[in-house]
Amino acid sequence: MPSSLGYAIWLLATLLEVAVVVCAISRNCFGRYLCLNLYMLSSLFVSVARYGALSHFGVRSGEYWYLYYYSDAVLTIFLYLALITLYLHVFDEMKVEKYVRLAAVLLLAGTALFSYGVVHQSFQSSGKMLAGFVFELSQNLYFVGLVLTYVLWGAILKLRESRSQLIQLVLSLGVYFSAFAATFALENMFPNLQFFAYIVPIFGCLLPLAWAYAFWRLAPDARMVPARLAVVPR
Amino acid sequence: MSRKLTALLLATLVLAGAMGLKTAVMAHSGSAIMMANGGAPVPQPPMANGGAPVPQPPSAQ
Repeated sequence: MPSSLGYAIWLLATLLEVAVVVCAISRNCFGRYLCLNLYMLSSLFVSVARYGALSHFGVRSGEYWYLYYYSDAVLTIFLYLALITLYLHVFDEMKVEKYVRLAAVLLLAGTALFSYGVVHQSFQSSGKMLAGFVFELSQNLYFVGLVLTYVLWGAILKLRESRSQLIQLVLSLGVYFSAFAATFALENMFPNLQFFAYIVPIFGCLLPLAWAYAFWRLAPDARMVPARLAVVPR
Repeated sequence: MSRKLTALLLATLVLAGAMGLKTAVMAHSGSAIMMANGGAPVPQPPMANGGAPVPQPPSAQ
């Protein structure tokens, strides 16, 4: 069972998820970033369901295990869809929505196929192939999301995107994915450190915090002031 | 047609890059994440959604 500090961080993350949706509704951004807000709402409901399963069955129960990993896979797919909608926002003037959607579907299908290929050999005889597939798909989608976020950031720089709210949303997502990848790598290198048990949930608070800030403080159409202006000789 | 092929190529490149990155990140743990054999320490996966405590990953045994 988690400690009091663990429960406090979990509660804070849940409250921040509520704050994202409330800020988006109050600033009329809910529809504009529908997938992001649906992801936050579903994450909120999943947190409540996980707490119910944890308090009823315990952290070592099968019920909690299945709820945790299956819901995590669903949430990761939602986060992937939210990221794709950010792509659609960045490329909206280029009229390539059809191709972005096509690439997103192909990438999701390819990730699922790759995950199935990975678990096929290991879990074929154990009867836990579906559980292994869900776990592997969730893991792989994290890394796909990380790469996609950096590609999107490159596109933002290349296209000289200046909508500050959109940039804040993408950058916070990049920091979020990068922090998890770095933590995961360090955890693999130093598996005996208990320090990471608190770091991962704290990172879970950062994304809703950054998104709530973006919705609350930045106007949807606010633009960044260019850092450098081209000097044109007269 | 060429744009569809470009979309396919980009999706493949992103997938290859992501799986390569995952392999690099997991280099110190090998492929032991899903294989909780014996009492060896099992590294916890990077569960990013929510702050709920993370249960152990499934074992193939």
